[in-house]
Amino acid sequence: MSGVPQSDRIQRLDRHALVMAVWLPAAFLATAVFHHGFGPGGAWWVAGGFGVLLAGFGAHVIVNAVLGTDFSAREVALALFAFALATLAIIFSVLLTPGFAARFFWPAALGMMALAGAAILYMVIRNGPRAAFARFDIIRDNNPRRASRLPHRGGRA
Amino acid sequence: MTLSLVAALGLIAACALYLAALTARAGADLVDGGADLPGWAAMFAGAGVMVAGVGLADHLAVVARFGLQAAHPAMGLVLAAMAGLIVQKRLWIAARMAGLASPGEALGRYYGSVTLRVAMLTLAILFALPWSAHLLLGAAQAVEAATGGAVARAPAVWVLAFFLFLPAVTGGWRATVLFLAMQAVLLAMLIAALAALAEGTLATPGFLDAGIPVAEGILRDLIPGVIQNSAGIGKQTAQGGIFSAMGIVSTALVFTGVALSPGMLCLAQTTAAGRSKGFGAVWLVAGLGGGLMLVLVPFLAARLPGLPQALAAVEPLAAVGFTLLLVTAGQLAAGFFTTSGTLIVTREVILPYIVPGLSPRGQRLAARIALALAYAALATLAAFAPRFSAVFGGLALPFAVQFLPALIGLCFVRWISRAAVIAGLVFGLLLVTFTEPLGLILFEGLFLDLPWGRWPLTIHSAAWGLAFNLAVVLLASVFTARGVERARRDRLHDEFAARWALPESRPNARTALWSLTLIWAFFAMGPGAILGNSFFSRPVFTQAETALGLPSLWVWQILFWLVGTALVWWLAHRARLGQTSSDPLRRIDFRDPAPVPGPARAPDWIAAGLARVTQRAR
Repeated sequence: MSGVPQSDRIQRLDRHALVMAVWLPAAFLATAVFHHGFGPGGAWWVAGGFGVLLAGFGAHVIVNAVLGTDFSAREVALALFAFALATLAIIFSVLLTPGFAARFFWPAALGMMALAGAAILYMVIRNGPRAAFARFDIIRDNNPRRASRLPHRGGRA
Repeated sequence: MTLSLVAALGLIAACALYLAALTARAGADLVDGGADLPGWAAMFAGAGVMVAGVGLADHLAVVARFGLQAAHPAMGLVLAAMAGLIVQKRLWIAARMAGLASPGEALGRYYGSVTLRVAMLTLAILFALPWSAHLLLGAAQAVEAATGGAVARAPAVWVLAFFLFLPAVTGGWRATVLFLAMQAVLLAMLIAALAALAEGTLATPGFLDAGIPVAEGILRDLIPGVIQNSAGIGKQTAQGGIFSAMGIVSTALVFTGVALSPGMLCLAQTTAAGRSKGFGAVWLVAGLGGGLMLVLVPFLAARLPGLPQALAAVEPLAAVGFTLLLVTAGQLAAGFFTTSGTLIVTREVILPYIVPGLSPRGQRLAARIALALAYAALATLAAFAPRFSAVFGGLALPFAVQFLPALIGLCFVRWISRAAVIAGLVFGLLLVTFTEPLGLILFEGLFLDLPWGRWPLTIHSAAWGLAFNLAVVLLASVFTARGVERARRDRLHDEFAARWALPESRPNARTALWSLTLIWAFFAMGPGAILGNSFFSRPVFTQAETALGLPSLWVWQILFWLVGTALVWWLAHRARLGQTSSDPLRRIDFRDPAPVPGPARAPDWIAAGLARVTQRAR
């Protein structure tokens, strides 16, 4: 941190604050809507909760576009952790809570798919299909030969 | 509910502290944030303060009591956006050209007046302490009501003040503005979501079905006349409600008071160059803020005072959200005014006069001590002196409006002189004081009963003050426009004319802009607004009655809010009042050149007297 120029540190801080300004209200609203949806509200409220999360994601993408940045590694890690936690929570609820699957399986599953789909769509639009796939293509990185890094062999610099 | 509320408030406080710690690590300047605050933060924080700065809880309560006539002054957000655009760009340029750090310094140096500087400092303290204490008390009362007394008012005040103090003392001005921007987004979301949730889930009739329930004798969806011959609040009850057309336009000026408050001017001065001023004024203040206050607030007000209980029955987190709305609004405004006011006082008084010559580290420590003292005073006032806070705090907004002529002079009108501004200010402040509780209580307690009360003729004290203020300024300027200090003022205005002239050079376009603005103000909230009572239910020149299904006045308000937003857009973009440039600025100096020292000479009358004596002695 000490090697980073002060202006860069302040720019990062400003972007970070803007991202928090997007997600804090979205998280509050999504929590309330999910709470009502998984209680007396029903499927449409659950769908509404996912809609709020998608709106938050959209706003985050707009922030990235306006400031010319991308999702930071910490943001990606936090998102993946939250996504995995939510997936596990839904799976355990389906397995352990009587009646949950009948009422909420489809809205919850479709909502999670919509979130994943939105992230994939963003990557494809931003990086193109090949580069988007390459982000997950860790097998290619396992080849230790330097020649595998050559671009005409499909390597990445 | 108590646990959920405490958890929500704790999460927000944790976010504030986290942001402040990051700001401190990034090494941003504590007192002015490096004078390059990000445009988005200034936009959101500014818009949030404009909505919350007049007291959102009070506004909701007044709309619930008087109906749509009381919601109408929120049109003042459009007016405030215009005032902000007119003043803030040129103040920003003047501050950068002359190295002016605060609004008080700008006015003081431009007019060459210590009086104006002291007046601006006093205003900053009025906003920072009594007015902020009044707002913070409202937030604490919301917490007390929501928790059923489990969290009492006084501890709530101290905790809320402490969690405002932490980001300010850790990260300074930048952290405060970033946090307030976050709160402003939360505030907007909560107003919109709660109105939608209440209408979507509650079975009881709401605003569209039953209107706003008001007491008998109050016109809930009509403006009670253009003006009323009322002695004022406390002396005589106005028929049908206090918000006559003149009452609306004069109360709308209060929003302009927020835009002209020292904190908002300081925010404008410390924002980085760019288009954020225009975008914020058009889309956030006039657009989003006006829309929330004019379109959605009636939905919430129609269900008060039982709204939290009704929401809790449907969804407990929604009731938490309602309390959070009131607390966020109070914290947002109190935090902004207190931190900005304290940092202005630190910069203008403490660092140059009380502890001069401090190192940068010492200056930071001095600012932190000042913030600690200010927040302690804020919490003490809010917890133990609510009446004092209300009486003195009520002066802050109308007082701020009285600085409009001085700021117009600095930004556009070179012939407004120091003497005229000070004379107008004195008259304006006196008129405000004697049409607000402070002056009435003092005068009637010490001498005799006055024949008028608060806001006589249903005209707000801000308008009484401004009318006399402007009249005195114009009159005095006739005689003092060519005073000796004119050269100093000309330095700035010559630079404005040479490099920052308004681009609407075609006289027709400029005339159209100002004419349309005046016409808009007349119909949107002036005497012409009375037409809105029946314009859409019983159209003029016809005998027909239309079944609109909505109050005619509400439709009128929405229509003129949209037109007003378009006018703000014109000002911001076509007249380019909404953008600043980072191009290099030419330095100017307001100080008069030092007189050339010459041989000491006795005054003529002494020399003549001496000569007479010595010649006689010869």
